[in-house]
Amino acid sequence: MRISLDVELEDTPGQLLRALEPISKHGGNIISIVHIRDERRPSRRLCVHLVMDVHDRETLEVILEELKSRGIGIARVGEDVRKERLTLLIIGHVVDTDLRDTIDRLNAIEGVLVSDLSLAMTHPEAESSAIVSIEVSQGADTEKLMAAIDEIAREKNLEILRSLEV
Amino acid sequence: MLLRKAREYRQRYGVELRVVSITDITGTAHSQDGIDLKLALERCRRGVIDYPGAEEMSGVDAIREIEAELVVEATPSNIKNGEPGMSHMLESFRAGKHVVTSNKGPLALEYWKLVQEAERRGVEFRFEASVGGAMPVINLARETLSGDRIVGIEGILNGTTNYILTRMTTEGTSYETVLREAQELGYAEADPTYDIEGIDTASKLVILANAVMGMRARFGDVKVRGITRITPEAVRLAKERGYVIKLIGEVKDSRLEVAPRLVPESHPLNVGGALNVAMLECDVAGRITVIGKGAGAIETQSAILSDIISIARRCGG
Repeated sequence: MRISLDVELEDTPGQLLRALEPISKHGGNIISIVHIRDERRPSRRLCVHLVMDVHDRETLEVILEELKSRGIGIARVGEDVRKERLTLLIIGHVVDTDLRDTIDRLNAIEGVLVSDLSLAMTHPEAESSAIVSIEVSQGADTEKLMAAIDEIAREKNLEILRSLEV
Repeated sequence: MLLRKAREYRQRYGVELRVVSITDITGTAHSQDGIDLKLALERCRRGVIDYPGAEEMSGVDAIREIEAELVVEATPSNIKNGEPGMSHMLESFRAGKHVVTSNKGPLALEYWKLVQEAERRGVEFRFEASVGGAMPVINLARETLSGDRIVGIEGILNGTTNYILTRMTTEGTSYETVLREAQELGYAEADPTYDIEGIDTASKLVILANAVMGMRARFGDVKVRGITRITPEAVRLAKERGYVIKLIGEVKDSRLEVAPRLVPESHPLNVGGALNVAMLECDVAGRITVIGKGAGAIETQSAILSDIISIARRCGG
């Protein structure tokens, strides 16, 4: 699971290393470290924003315990929600069948966000094609998404191609 | 091919294969000492009835009456009722004969009925050639990857539609133009419905779901969409985003689906021409991908021969 963690360190040499050691020790994988230098805390402490992958909740608790025992302050812990991208290619009377409605119906599903759209129209009367990028968050209801896509395709007589799952 | 490879098989496997009868729509040629294959190839251009001593005998009768150990069932596939293949297979089992087949109709319709009947009669039933032509999938999954459980299958199982879509992608031509040319070149049938509507892929997918993943799937369980609505604009749009359009058959989480999909250009499933590709999701080995020629009379023989030799080695002779 991906975790974002804000830690408070004393602004002395070797502090960052002390913070990273427990994470490494328990098999955590550091994704990013942002050293926020100008956000000085009253007690001459620095804020470092970490993003890491840990195996599970238990491991996270162990790591947090160890950080505390080393005197490292924990300002914030959050689960970083991972997003996957799904691409749809829509063929048919994409615009005429109320494109706004199509987008709204996809967005209505929790965890689903239409982020991008490209349209190719050869002729006003002819069928057109559209490519839609969708961001799907980790906990999203993919079954519902698939069902919505099928329903839209059926109702509006559109051919909707999905990208392969990653 | 049997003629060409007879000596090789004898030497490599200690196996002696003798064809005792051949049946086609014209009749049956029969010789218990062995059909003269060279003569048959020379004489029987029109049909087997031109072989010396051939008579008008049906497949079912030939299977029932002629003494043999193994039947190769290679009649045209029929997805409506599986005939005449279905009857040939059941009659073979009843007559205590092993069956090797490339015929997917009966398997797509009644997989478990056939497999269980063969088991009951204690005979071997192998059908590698029914899916993917020369590309090994069924035996690969069941025998070579026997330590793994296959949890998903994804692939391109129809060469005709792959040929059409590949050309649309590389040339930007319309679907109708490419289809017409494909028919002229022999890559597509005069009636290409089964290929372009995804029915051919769907029947192969059902066989794989049953044979490789142990599912209880029927042809009607597959959600099927073909390629008839794909336009050059759609292909171009997809290309701009780094995707190619392929007709993909997918089995995952009890879902069976055949549909045109967006495949990233760098994905292993992006193979061109009329090739087939199958990606097996294995619980230990991870993803295993096989690519090969899906169809073609000569290529399919590879699978049929492999199955014949397997049976010959197991059952002696």
